[in-house]
Amino acid sequence: MDRELIVALRGVTCRYPDAARDNLVSVSLELPAGELHAVLGPNGSGKTTLVRAALGLVPLVAGEAEILGRPAHTWSRRALARLVGVLPQREDNLFPQRVRETVLLGRYPHLSLFGGVGATDRAAVDGALAACDAADLADRWLWTLSGGEYQRVRLARALAQEPRLLVLDEPTASLDLRHEMELFELVRTLVDAQGLGVLMITHHVNLAARFADRVLLLSEGRPAGAGAPGGVLTRDTVERVFAWPVSIAPFEGRPQMTPLRLRKEAR
Amino acid sequence: MKYVVLAGAALATLAAALLVGPANLPLADLPGSAIVWQLRLPRAVLAFLVGGALGVAGTSLQALVRNPLADPFLLGLSGGAGLGAVAAIALHLPGPWALPLAAFVGAVGAMALVYRLGLMGGAELDPRILLLGGVAVGAFAAAITTALVSLAQATELRNAFLWLWGGFSGASWTTVLVMLAYAPLPLGVLVASARPLDLLALGEEPAQYLGADVRRLKRVVYLAASLLTAAAVAVAGVIGFVGLVVPHLCRLVWGRLHRTLLPTAFLTGGILLAAADTLARTVVAPRELPVGIVTALLGVPVFAFLLRRWTVS
Amino acid sequence: MRRWTVRTHLAGLVALAAVACARGEHAPAAGPAVTDDAGRRVALAVPARRIVSLLPSFTEILFAIGAGHRLVGRTAWCDYPPAALAVPSVGDGIPPNVEAVAARRPDLVVLYRSGQNATAAEQLERLGIRTVLLDLNRLEELAPAARRLGVLTGRTAAGDSLARAMDSLVSQSPQSPTPSPESLVFLVWDNPPIVIGAGSYLDRLAGLAGARNVFHDIAAPSAQVSIETIAARNPDFIAVLSDTAAPPRYAGRPEWRVVPAVRKRRFLFLPGGLFGRPGPRAREAVRELRRRLETTP
Repeated sequence: MDRELIVALRGVTCRYPDAARDNLVSVSLELPAGELHAVLGPNGSGKTTLVRAALGLVPLVAGEAEILGRPAHTWSRRALARLVGVLPQREDNLFPQRVRETVLLGRYPHLSLFGGVGATDRAAVDGALAACDAADLADRWLWTLSGGEYQRVRLARALAQEPRLLVLDEPTASLDLRHEMELFELVRTLVDAQGLGVLMITHHVNLAARFADRVLLLSEGRPAGAGAPGGVLTRDTVERVFAWPVSIAPFEGRPQMTPLRLRKEAR
Repeated sequence: MKYVVLAGAALATLAAALLVGPANLPLADLPGSAIVWQLRLPRAVLAFLVGGALGVAGTSLQALVRNPLADPFLLGLSGGAGLGAVAAIALHLPGPWALPLAAFVGAVGAMALVYRLGLMGGAELDPRILLLGGVAVGAFAAAITTALVSLAQATELRNAFLWLWGGFSGASWTTVLVMLAYAPLPLGVLVASARPLDLLALGEEPAQYLGADVRRLKRVVYLAASLLTAAAVAVAGVIGFVGLVVPHLCRLVWGRLHRTLLPTAFLTGGILLAAADTLARTVVAPRELPVGIVTALLGVPVFAFLLRRWTVS
Repeated sequence: MRRWTVRTHLAGLVALAAVACARGEHAPAAGPAVTDDAGRRVALAVPARRIVSLLPSFTEILFAIGAGHRLVGRTAWCDYPPAALAVPSVGDGIPPNVEAVAARRPDLVVLYRSGQNATAAEQLERLGIRTVLLDLNRLEELAPAARRLGVLTGRTAAGDSLARAMDSLVSQSPQSPTPSPESLVFLVWDNPPIVIGAGSYLDRLAGLAGARNVFHDIAAPSAQVSIETIAARNPDFIAVLSDTAAPPRYAGRPEWRVVPAVRKRRFLFLPGGLFGRPGPRAREAVRELRRRLETTP
């Protein structure tokens, strides 16, 4: 693959300051532009830690984490923010604000210290809102939005950064079926149409299998499988990692997982 | 348009402060009067500067600790200043600057202690610990102050508490010049942090992802806001509610982006405090109320009104 | 059953009566007795022989009525008359050191009536020591204090005589006022400025000395004002309680120099012992104030 690698993790091992043991052990990941990678795994398997390590927020015990070929921790926050748009799991909303204002926050990494907001910035905001199908929400107050609309606005903010990489941490966690599908479709379109790289952490194994180009499955900080969804999401692997009996069946060429009920025989 | 109104209000408040006073000077005498030049003018200017400093400090601190109820004096500074002032009187430190300097040193000492506590969770400043540490340090300082008060002579210390409740009776051109020389640096630092402060409202991690150097930001904002507050206390005692209420008033009118919020908070704080001081001088003439009491009396209904608006939205 | 309840009730009544008698006055009607300013009835079996005084003015009064030799304890501040210095000190009295007072084995302790002192008095009473709480904030309170201390020490005639002298001072018309009586302000603190108003001892002294307190219109004994108000009222003198003649620290500050009396350095330095609180030397204080008003340039 001669497309440029946006994110490259090689044998990364890291540990939070007060942790008893390593939170990630020997994890590797290579994400070029134009690909959607999904990171899967049970709770506490290190998915969010992976994101933080990739972005230089957690010191590494071993291995390398590089963004565009340079070690992640050498990037300044501002420079990194012009490259990577992140949707963390949680964020606060202390004071009432409007959608346009919050999307404009995505332009901050591009604004100079005393410079103002220019035409380019406003265009980027409008473009981001349009790409996320949220242009009609622009003047709404944030607290009046539904869950799905809110996520689209946050995505628009990340896009307003004009990043080459999007990192989404469980973006569909509390969304209903339609909004969840819409978000996955939207992200896939962004990857295909704009050549963005996307790293998505999600609990939704089946949708990840259908939308992602590659999948990384983590178990207790260690890689349990990496590669195309079909190769990683086998019954043995999934049952071992998630500690629950499942059945795997293909749908449109991608493995789909169905958890089994306990009453049934194991095999 | 709103800015015009604000500027107009600032001028009007300053004018009122110059025209109104117990001396009942006729208009014609005003330009040449020593009372105006040596008393009313420095007092009005100082009240404006202190109110502005408290407004900006309060706005920044509310963004830093991500708590809309934060007041600059929540971080233990008033306790430290009180301890310094009482110590200066109990020890009979000489000179007219003993009291303000001691209050400043006490406030800065409290700030350093709270800062140290705030770093206890790790290398980064934890805003939750800042709040708790501020309360603890304030209580500790108050306890020592009480001990000093009980050991020393009664009447002088009663007067120290009157000073502590806030007032501009000691205003002079010297204090104005000191404030003018001192305040621009911390004010400048805070205004430069305006955009990162907007980001901080999303949370520390999201702010980092949007380019803010959160670790540095927290330290810088905390130190600058505390130093501004320490100077305000040294010059004018503890004046509550200004730092708490002004940011909310400004957010109502101008929104929450700090590039606009900080300058307007400065002007609004200045207007409020200069007006409060004029009231303090005239309402019970010939006596005077401590300014801190006037701001509290005015501040509580304003705050109740703001709370209603908050809960409605 | 009914007999039992009747007997219990009777027993209860007897017990109550016994307690009431025990808590009542020990003294037979013949011993000296007064009502103090806390509303308590203070009665002694015999006139007080061992007295502890916890206020300099009371010490002065006791000496003035000839009971000074019966003092066995005084505060560290009691320095007048000089004979008082021979009496052992029981500390500065703020708050009173109950143990030190009790160690002097007094039969009467004289206290100034305040919240803190009320607590100390109660503790002394629990130790079986009689206490008397007297007000002494205004000139008018000197006479009743003298009278009652006279009664309690058996020096009734001397106490009454001193009281009469104080009464005549209170009721006398101000010394022949000059055509333009001098004005003054009593400044007890500078930041914020605290002045003395009407009804206080110093204000009365000023009136008796033929001077005018520019803040006589403020009803409270002390009040916070602004420098501007002082400048506007332009008193001839600034009176400060000070044992030295050193100019106060605010005298050089530009904002204070707007007040003409500060600019011209027209200060009256009034010694704390004589002017700080009402005492038997009130008449002398008036004379001294008058003298300084006339002689200070």
